[in-house]
Amino acid sequence: MADRAHSLAVSDRMFTRHGTGLFLLGALALALVLLGPLFLDRFTQNVLTRSMIYAMMAITVDLLWGYTGILTFGQSAFFGAGAYATALILTHIGGGMQNFALALALSVILPMVLAALVGWLSFYHKSTPLYASVISLVVPIVLTQAIFAGGSFTGSSSGLVGYPVMKLGAANYFRLAGVALILFAALSWIIVRSDAGRVLVAIRDNPLRAAYLGIRTQKVQILLMTVLGGIAGLCGFLYANAGRIVAPEIAGFGFGTQMIVWTALGGRASIFGPALGAIGIDYLGAQLSGSMPYVWQLIIGVLFVAMILFVPRGLVGLLPRRKHSGAAPALVALPDQRQESGRDALLTVSGLRKAYGNFVVLDGIDLKVRPGELISVVGPNGAGKTTLLRCLSDGTETIEGNITVVDKDIAGRPPEDIVALGIGRKFQVASVFESMTVAECLRLARTTHERPSLWHRASTIELPSAALEILALTGLNKKLGEPVSGLSHGMRQSLELAMVVAMQPRLILLDEPTAGLTKAERTLIGEVLKRLTQNLGYAAILIEHDIDFVKEISQRLVVLHQGRLVMDGSVEEVVNSELVRSIYSGMAHD
Amino acid sequence: MKNAKPTCLCLLLATALVSGPALAQEGEPITIGVPVGLSGANSVIAPAVVQATQLAVEQINASGGILGRPVKVVVADDASGAAGAQTAYNTLVFQNDVDVLIAMETSAARNAGLPIVEEGEKPFIYSSFYEGRSCSPNMFVNGWVPEQQVPPVVEKLMADGARNFFLIGSDYAFGRGMLEFSRKYIEDKGGKIVGEEYLPMEGSDWTAILSNLRSAGADAVITSTAGGTPNVTLTKQLRASGISIPYANLAVDEGTAKAMGADGVGILISASYLTAIDTPENKDFIAALEKKFGGEMRTPNDLSTPQYEAVYLYKAAVEKAGSTETEAVLAAFPEVSFKGPRGEISMSKQHHAPLTMYLGEVQADGSVKVVAEFPNVDPGDQCPDL
Amino acid sequence: MALLLDITTTAALLFIVSAGLFVIFGVLKIINFAHAAWLTIGAYTTVVATRMGFSPWLSLPLAVFVGGLLGAATEIAIVRPLYRRSLDAILATWGLGVVIVQIITLTFGRDMQMPPALITGTVDVLGMPYSSYRLFLLVAAVIMGLAFVLVLERTRLGLNAQAVIMNETLARALGINTSQVRLVTFMLGSAIAALAGVLLTPLSSVDPTMGISWLIGAFMLVMVSGTSVAALALACLCFGAAQVLVSTWISPILGSVTVAVLCAVVLRLHPKGFARG
Repeated sequence: MADRAHSLAVSDRMFTRHGTGLFLLGALALALVLLGPLFLDRFTQNVLTRSMIYAMMAITVDLLWGYTGILTFGQSAFFGAGAYATALILTHIGGGMQNFALALALSVILPMVLAALVGWLSFYHKSTPLYASVISLVVPIVLTQAIFAGGSFTGSSSGLVGYPVMKLGAANYFRLAGVALILFAALSWIIVRSDAGRVLVAIRDNPLRAAYLGIRTQKVQILLMTVLGGIAGLCGFLYANAGRIVAPEIAGFGFGTQMIVWTALGGRASIFGPALGAIGIDYLGAQLSGSMPYVWQLIIGVLFVAMILFVPRGLVGLLPRRKHSGAAPALVALPDQRQESGRDALLTVSGLRKAYGNFVVLDGIDLKVRPGELISVVGPNGAGKTTLLRCLSDGTETIEGNITVVDKDIAGRPPEDIVALGIGRKFQVASVFESMTVAECLRLARTTHERPSLWHRASTIELPSAALEILALTGLNKKLGEPVSGLSHGMRQSLELAMVVAMQPRLILLDEPTAGLTKAERTLIGEVLKRLTQNLGYAAILIEHDIDFVKEISQRLVVLHQGRLVMDGSVEEVVNSELVRSIYSGMAHD
Repeated sequence: MKNAKPTCLCLLLATALVSGPALAQEGEPITIGVPVGLSGANSVIAPAVVQATQLAVEQINASGGILGRPVKVVVADDASGAAGAQTAYNTLVFQNDVDVLIAMETSAARNAGLPIVEEGEKPFIYSSFYEGRSCSPNMFVNGWVPEQQVPPVVEKLMADGARNFFLIGSDYAFGRGMLEFSRKYIEDKGGKIVGEEYLPMEGSDWTAILSNLRSAGADAVITSTAGGTPNVTLTKQLRASGISIPYANLAVDEGTAKAMGADGVGILISASYLTAIDTPENKDFIAALEKKFGGEMRTPNDLSTPQYEAVYLYKAAVEKAGSTETEAVLAAFPEVSFKGPRGEISMSKQHHAPLTMYLGEVQADGSVKVVAEFPNVDPGDQCPDL
Repeated sequence: MALLLDITTTAALLFIVSAGLFVIFGVLKIINFAHAAWLTIGAYTTVVATRMGFSPWLSLPLAVFVGGLLGAATEIAIVRPLYRRSLDAILATWGLGVVIVQIITLTFGRDMQMPPALITGTVDVLGMPYSSYRLFLLVAAVIMGLAFVLVLERTRLGLNAQAVIMNETLARALGINTSQVRLVTFMLGSAIAALAGVLLTPLSSVDPTMGISWLIGAFMLVMVSGTSVAALALACLCFGAAQVLVSTWISPILGSVTVAVLCAVVLRLHPKGFARG
């Protein structure tokens, strides 16, 4: 309500983007729920009121699981917490406007606190999605147990009933639930299509790359879980008022898994699919399950497995998919910015040792990198080159020795913190976001510089000119609207390189950036890197096998062999040394 | 369970039920809505309840219906819980527009259904025993409450010399309600509670509780678990642990006690209905069930028999009121009575029913012997406001 | 003394119930949500075997056979196609669990089944009667643990499995047929879970949903243990002890969530769990 102007702007954009169709659909749905009670019988009204509340829950699950990749069985816990907060206040304190307001506030706040706690428990550096899922199973079980143990305070297994509720009448509860659902669906729809929505998908597709773009993935996940916990609590408030009862099962994991079924059958990552899935299955279930519950559950179970196996996108996935019709955003060049260079060392590594059990990968590494330097690391396979880059970009790796970036010890800092210190890393195997377009990937690389909007997609992407050059070299600038999944190996390499450069890091870590590129492309990339380092003051550490390429662009060469840094010197020195020849003599050029 | 058939009985029942009675009378049929837990926790007991309803309706139709109108039953699954009950009650009240609801259900399901019953202004008979004190102008209860069931057990155990009691329950409203009353009752009678422990309903490992029981020095144990699984796990583990003090179970039905075989022997059961009740009404009831259902017959029990009687109580109330109109029927409920397998039943005390209680003991052959009879036990003040 | 016996036998029970899940998690890196259904199937093999007049002991090999067969079918039909979508694989196994429970219900009915117990009665341990079956479980768990170690260390399958556990890509590069290892592992895990189901019958009731109550504890124990048998045994002992102590001294209600909550906290504070120190 606060940003009236903002939402007007949004609807404007909706008109231009997807035509008036969706807007009309929303208006039609709104009219339907407002007029519905006039022609729907009492049974349908009552059942649909509940189904629509469930539909909102399904959307929260969709946002978490479908869009962000957090498979949660525990959304019911927040729903239950909200419903119980409401029922407890109304039972033990009583009705009246003031208490309804209090119940409303608590039914949002309490689940949010709980959700934040669960988020903290579920998401930390290197936590697995599986772990988060299992935690989401534990939460409703513990909450239900607490409700059971609450005796007459919580009503135990019988639940709470007979408390004063907002006297709106069945028809108005139907309208309220309907309007809430439409608003929430519309809001979710707008958000998932915004730039911020892309951040969620980025976390789902490739959390590692997202973290190495400086996106605080865990923070986003916890925040999302907290906000959606609040929404679930709100649904619980509605439910407790409309249904006039709360029972432990609404907080249980059985209900939590039901939401997954609605979402999976309706179509994850589509907002409308899960909402329709919830309404359809709950309404149909009300019609059919009364007389044959086991067969009904069997059918749902079989359908569910079949959908997961063969139609992972759900029923919505069976509809013809509309191509991304929106025009790709325009690229805008940022003015070249010379990195400050006064410091003597950007990166200092001293006495680095890294071992897995008894297996020592790196030992006794000392290295200094100054602004403007391009250092190539060479050495045979298994020398520890990639491990070195990992240790430089992830402070949570257990190592001995010290690594400092601009005088700050990186020990204990996760990758996104190190990105904030000015280090960008390109992986050996191109790591991009599979379900996105080229433009979306580039936009994500700029997340730390430009806060992505929750409401719309920016029509331009500002990139440093070096990134633009890389894109132009491989023709990617002509494929901005195309999905990444269709790109060739070489193009993906350049895209990731462009993304890393777009972050404008002080120090770029490049793990074989030119593998898969043609000779010509390589040379051009080499030119770009030279310009970045020599003219603009970036520093770079490059792992490369192609000695000719290395000779061409590097200022210094570092030789790793069996985990030790055996040489560090100018290109001439190193290339002509006996040591390097002997190391490389057994190794085939690739 | 020697006659368990590889088919789902409830399915057959449910589909058979929707097609009304064979004998048609004049006039609009009277519809009885039966929300029941065909799935979920109550699904073990539900088929017997459905059979009891079916039998009562068949008998009533065969003898001319109610007020000359045929009687029809609609069964709906409440999934033994609140959400399922909302659906079931909405369907029965607003879609099927039934004349009355007669239901054996969990307390959560009953609570979820009550607002809908009140909203739809229907009469409602709750035919399950429960922890007591659920009150609604639309609801009458013909099963027992703790005030009726606990005293026979405690008195028998105390007469046998028990003074120190250990209470074990499942952590839910019924389990806690029953044991809370037991504690009060035992302490009033001069006994001592040496331990009171609860395990969640889903829990199946009673080890720690049994160890506490063993070291507590109790000379009798009273349990009130959720029906079905917890009852069986507790009894099995109790017996396996070698504890052999007298064991009264407030929540086991006859069928389950029998099925437990050797583990069940010696359990004390307090109930308003046991198959061994020696009255012509009970013998006729069992014979009629056998005739109607043959091999598919479920042993009648303390939940299904009240359901059977409730249908007759409704018949009596409608006949007294002269119509199926809700207010008239509700006014007639406390006035009428029915002599059924459990004896003369009347829901005359604050919407609840004084009942004759029986104390049974499980025998080595699996049968339950009636060891004592307590006529006309009062339900106490359940709903003073009604 | 009773407490000590309670703790060790509870730990044994936890170990038996989680073992099948653990095997699958170790190699395939997925939690088999159909685990509860496997336990149930195992228990129902006892029902079928005893109904046909056989000794309940015969249901042990029968459960292994049925579990293995179903495990193979599941791996080929459901888990393998979802190799690259591990969260979906978990969901699919969960759906499968639902389907199996409904099929059991439709076949055997909702009733509790009461197959005869494997061992009944008590033995005197230092003058105190103790359930002989619980003591038998302790022996069974130790045998199972030793068998694990033997298979892992002494057989080709075990060595291959170890290679896959450490680095699947590398194992494949070394010429190990990893998809075969995955198949056999899933079969083994399912068979062990079904076996555990049989072993549960004397303690629990046999009904279609019996497996659920053991599920969460097993999930958490396996997540805490990672891929080491010793860690699993240690975790069962520690968390089993915590469960028994909390149940005995504080409240069995709290005790019932002890394993899950403690495991969650341990994993949060020490993400590697018991796997490495």
